[in-house]
Amino acid sequence: MGNIVVFGILWAGLTAVGEWVFRTHRAHSFYYTISNQGSLALSAFNFLSSWLMPIFIFIALVTIFALVRFRAPNNEPKPSEVQAMRNRAFIFTWVGLSFALNIMFWLHPTSVDLEAMFTNWRKEKAQHPLIVNVTARQWEWMFNYPQYHVTQAVNAQGLDEMELPVNRPVEFFLRSYDPFHTYDVYAGVIHSFWIPAFGIKEDVIPGETRTEFLIPEHVANYHTSPLVRVQCAEVCGPGHPYMESPVSVVTAAQFAKWIKYEQKLQAAAGGS
Amino acid sequence: MEQQITQAEARNNPQPKVMHMAPVLRGLVWATIGFAIFDLMTVAVDPFRGRPLVTEPSVVVGWVGALIGWLMGVGGYEGVILPLFGSPSTWVEPKNWRKYFGLSTNHKVIGLQYLVTSSSIFFIAGMDAMAIRYELMQPSMHFFTYTGQYLTAVGVHGSLMMFGVGTVVLISGLGNYFVPLMIGAKETVFSRLSGIGHWLLPAGALTLIASPLLGYWDTGWRGYEPLASQDPGGMVFYYLGIFAMTLSTIIASLNLAATIIFHRARGMTWARLPLFVWGILTVSLLNLIWQPEIEMTFVMALLDKLIPFHFFDALGSPLTYLSMFWLFGHPEVYIIVLPAFALWNEIIPVMAQKNLFARDWAIIGLIFVMMLSGLVWAHHIFTNMRNSEMFPFSFFSEMISIPTGFSFMAAIGTLWRARLRFTTPTLLVLMAIFNFVIGGLTGVYLADPPVNLQVHDTFFVIAHFHYTIIGGAIFTWVAAMYYWLPKLSGRMFNDTLGKWLALWIFIGFNGTFSQMFLLGLDGMNRWVPAYPPYLKPLNYSVSLFAFFLGAGFIANAIHIWWAWVKGPKSPENPWHARTLEWLTTSPPPDDNFDGEVEVVRGFYRYDHDEPSAYLVKNPEPAE
Repeated sequence: MGNIVVFGILWAGLTAVGEWVFRTHRAHSFYYTISNQGSLALSAFNFLSSWLMPIFIFIALVTIFALVRFRAPNNEPKPSEVQAMRNRAFIFTWVGLSFALNIMFWLHPTSVDLEAMFTNWRKEKAQHPLIVNVTARQWEWMFNYPQYHVTQAVNAQGLDEMELPVNRPVEFFLRSYDPFHTYDVYAGVIHSFWIPAFGIKEDVIPGETRTEFLIPEHVANYHTSPLVRVQCAEVCGPGHPYMESPVSVVTAAQFAKWIKYEQKLQAAAGGS
Repeated sequence: MEQQITQAEARNNPQPKVMHMAPVLRGLVWATIGFAIFDLMTVAVDPFRGRPLVTEPSVVVGWVGALIGWLMGVGGYEGVILPLFGSPSTWVEPKNWRKYFGLSTNHKVIGLQYLVTSSSIFFIAGMDAMAIRYELMQPSMHFFTYTGQYLTAVGVHGSLMMFGVGTVVLISGLGNYFVPLMIGAKETVFSRLSGIGHWLLPAGALTLIASPLLGYWDTGWRGYEPLASQDPGGMVFYYLGIFAMTLSTIIASLNLAATIIFHRARGMTWARLPLFVWGILTVSLLNLIWQPEIEMTFVMALLDKLIPFHFFDALGSPLTYLSMFWLFGHPEVYIIVLPAFALWNEIIPVMAQKNLFARDWAIIGLIFVMMLSGLVWAHHIFTNMRNSEMFPFSFFSEMISIPTGFSFMAAIGTLWRARLRFTTPTLLVLMAIFNFVIGGLTGVYLADPPVNLQVHDTFFVIAHFHYTIIGGAIFTWVAAMYYWLPKLSGRMFNDTLGKWLALWIFIGFNGTFSQMFLLGLDGMNRWVPAYPPYLKPLNYSVSLFAFFLGAGFIANAIHIWWAWVKGPKSPENPWHARTLEWLTTSPPPDDNFDGEVEVVRGFYRYDHDEPSAYLVKNPEPAE
């Protein structure tokens, strides 16, 4: 009984300390998150962390406790004094708790969050979102704004870039093919569209069109945080490490100005 | 009288059949000849003239020739081909060290062959990891000259570690050596097949190592389509190398499962079967189900590349390849770790001299992990799925932690209030439990789709699976090597040194991979030799710990090697274990037991002194 009490106190104490330390850090578990989808993932991550912490501390403490408290004074092969092979209470609690915890995790955060994701996406679809056609090719991200007739958004140097207005829903259409080599069936490979600060990635599959919705919630760009970038996350050949693009989340006014600028650039280049 | 004997010997052992060349050397020569013949045959039937002598199709056919030549050269010709055609086998297994360098039918020799080959692969793939970590110390390319070269290093590292080490050491290596001993068998069921099986492993590993010769491939160990069909010829050796290595595993599993079913000693009922044997049985069934599945997938992918069939590119279905790969790929990680779970509960009761707690639950856990492992694969491809499709896979991925937990429950119940002897194997098993719980709990994050969509394909995932595989399985392998060293060699290691070396790899390992979780959360994605500069400090620190870890593994290997050869003589049963392998001498004789084994009760009771089994010695042969 004494062992259980000492262990219980240590476990509760360490868990309390762990949870307290975690509370001070939990806002930054993902370092930098600025979209509604990202907040969903972040809160799920933090919820799981809070509940997994006591389990981790329990097992870690058992290994240390066994080495300290149950250690034999010498290596003589003497049988242990306690030879329990069964402890109904322990087995029942262990199995029962592991079922209960897993079912809880599946209901919350998994089911609840997937449901929230569906609902968000449906709502954002109904709010006339900004549409961005994203084309992934080896090795370039290309951004097209059909509502503003911008076929390929680039900066003054002609490098692809993406700007998004803050707090406006965005619908990304993701496609993988090479617009310059459409005849080549080998040219399309799997890429993965990932903006770390937005907290979601989706694979871009040749032959399929996928959509993704989210709302950027803070003005930010690559210079305010390097996590605000498009990064290909799925290996797509030797150019994979360099398949990235800067992203800027800006105010509505700045976005309108940027669109004008893009249209001007396009007109100057003789594009449609 | 003497004259007659001389005549008889002359007829049965014709002189020209005595071999002069070492089998491995002959294997290499015959492999070269086989490659040349099959390759040139392919070139000869090519309707288009003017192609190079080695093309992707011809190298595949040539490789088959090389494999046949190699397997015949190492002893398959005398051991398999001659008997197949009705001639007596002229293969003589040497009695000295040479027996390890050729075809063998003795499961202990085969087990050691597997252990040594696999350790060599571990060393090579480990050096590969060191090169990868050296590259990642800087945010730009400074060591590798081309990104494809880096990606090939990553792919060779992963493939060798998975198919040449993880799947091999505890099953084909320690399993081949100890399972027959632990069930009181004198030999395995398919001994000759098993002997051939080992020689597929070095062939496969060398094929993978040679893959850069045909061009740098980019896909990593998963060979994702359609990138693979677009990649250079190195891809071909990826398929072929893994084909040979998985075939070796299938053969070992078939042999071990059959041996467990048919060659148990008298009294070795299913209810008395040792935990490690249960682990190997469940894992062998997993291997027999899933390794053929991945082989067929790779055959399809190879044909897709050579012909091409367009199974998996934009004209076909890239997602089908992904599902087919992970359908095998997730069971694979349980293939690696199930024997480790079993070993924890094999070693802990011995070190505590305490009854194994809830033995039935520990076995049920192994069986349910085996069955559930085929239902979780799609959590590897959540980023490719519609939201609604994620539900069931998320469910099973979370549920598989329940039977996994049974192994922990049995271990904790056994440790509780034990008189635990603090030895090197004890320490390493406790470290493995500590590491694996981190690997397992971080898996819960990956089973949750919204979190998965953020951390998938980042260093978070790399840290997670290295925690399960190195932290769980490789630490347990090292623990088992120390635990069984007195049985393998009859000698003992230095326990104090062993504990310090265990602490060394523990610090190196946790320093390396715990920081990788942070890297992943901070936006470091996989397969990048160049990355944004803000990630450099953390990467630099990871690399330093990684070098420390690599040196630690080498130090452990040197210690084990030293103890094996020069260590002090060990008592017959130094740990006072009760399982059957300790009933015989160390190292065991050729036919394992000098007599008949009869098991009379289970092996995990320490509350009485009655023996678990008797060895009825053979009568001394009359002079």
